[in-house]
Amino acid sequence: MAATSRAVAQGVAEKETADLFAWRGMWLAVAAFFAFYICVRWYEGVYGWKYGLDAFSPEFQTYWMNLLYIELVVEALATAALVSYLIKTRDRNMEAMTPREELRRYCTLYMWWVVYGVGLFWGASFFTEQDGAWHQTVVRDTDFTPSHIIEFYMSYPIYVMVGLGSFTYAKTRIPYFAKGWSVPYLMLVFGPFMIFPNVGLNEWGHTFWFMEELFVAPLHWGFVFFAWFILAVFGVFLQVQPRMKELIGRELQQSEDYARS
Amino acid sequence: MSALTSAVRTPEEAAKVFRTLDFIALGAFFMILLASHHVHVMLLMGDWDFWVDWKDRRFWVTVVPIVSVAYPAAAQAFFWEKFRLPFGATLVTLGVLAGEWANRYFNFVGFTYFPINFVWPTILLPMALFLDAMLAISKSYGLTAVVGGLMYGLLMYPANWPLLSAFHVPAEYNGVVMSLADIMGYQYVRTGTPEYIRMVEKGTLKTFGKDVVPVSAFFSGFVAMVMYFVWHFVGRWFSKDYHINQL
Repeated sequence: MAATSRAVAQGVAEKETADLFAWRGMWLAVAAFFAFYICVRWYEGVYGWKYGLDAFSPEFQTYWMNLLYIELVVEALATAALVSYLIKTRDRNMEAMTPREELRRYCTLYMWWVVYGVGLFWGASFFTEQDGAWHQTVVRDTDFTPSHIIEFYMSYPIYVMVGLGSFTYAKTRIPYFAKGWSVPYLMLVFGPFMIFPNVGLNEWGHTFWFMEELFVAPLHWGFVFFAWFILAVFGVFLQVQPRMKELIGRELQQSEDYARS
Repeated sequence: MSALTSAVRTPEEAAKVFRTLDFIALGAFFMILLASHHVHVMLLMGDWDFWVDWKDRRFWVTVVPIVSVAYPAAAQAFFWEKFRLPFGATLVTLGVLAGEWANRYFNFVGFTYFPINFVWPTILLPMALFLDAMLAISKSYGLTAVVGGLMYGLLMYPANWPLLSAFHVPAEYNGVVMSLADIMGYQYVRTGTPEYIRMVEKGTLKTFGKDVVPVSAFFSGFVAMVMYFVWHFVGRWFSKDYHINQL
């Protein structure tokens, strides 16, 4: 009750009933990622051994190359759809935004980062080092091994899609990011994105420099260089802090005033 | 809109929102830094980290601390400098260990059937804890670079020795002296890294044999100091909030 009268006293009259935190969306996305990749891992575990050992067999075409073609098309379409949806539904009148709405969008942005992190975990961590295990198991006869089809051409484009989505969300909905371009955010999204084109260097190197899969071979260091740019999450986080403090912090300050009076 | 209206309605709600966002951000940081650190680690020191018969006295001892101190230093530059949070090194180290264990267990073991005691990752946590404690107590990046960096190198082998020592018991195998680690490497066939790829200590005509570990660890600590210094600035640079108007 006391809380309500205080709020009224400050002239917070807007009737906004929507929750600040879109928990459902975040947990659904995280759960979808885990469910999807656990299925992928199962598929790989079964059909990697069954049909993935000889790239010249017809089964390999059916079970693996078709997967490659399908996933590339689906990813390209999904990325285009996600980004164009976010642009199309952009906020065209940011001036009219209430502080609470702005705060809600920051909360959603934080949740985008969680989902991006989950995507990066599966792509850059889980399936990347997994490739190390597969390299120790087969002497490969193609650039498109089952492990590569999942790692390079599935898990990387998917996290790139989430990164681009989070960036577009910020750009089209949050006033701070709408103006100009945040360099750390560009690095956070396009550093990991560049890991994907860098596959070109990697596979090109492997085409004439056949080497055993030494993970620390210099040919692989391009991936490392681009992964460093993920550290720009520091800059992005610091960029949003002053505004977060303005949006939320004032109330804490008033709390102290209350205590003093 | 009006700069006077607040986004939250009560101090209690303000505190709650801040706290909730803290947890979300912590989750995001953990996953994002996990992935980034894991790429760095696996492609710069991965081979020594994957196999117990690569965990030798000379290369593993030298390479692992030098490579793995980078992200803790960058994370400390952010978490301590901006928020006075003394767990930067521990957070990224826990992340990379979680990523490594998930991968070793579900892929190296679960997918390609290498035994887990052949592919366990290097223990890194004691060094990260030392680094964080050093910074929190001294409040000085300079001291942390010198003392923490050196200890990061010196602690690696002792921290891992309780796990590793059992694999260094000698055995006579088909008339040859091999350690258990060597036998495991010989038994569990790897197609991608044949024996001549394995970079481990082989001895030279210009070196002494017995004190290879402490000498390598000390050298590693020295380079880790430099790495800490450099990566502290890398972390600072990535903490900048640049803006540009035109792409």
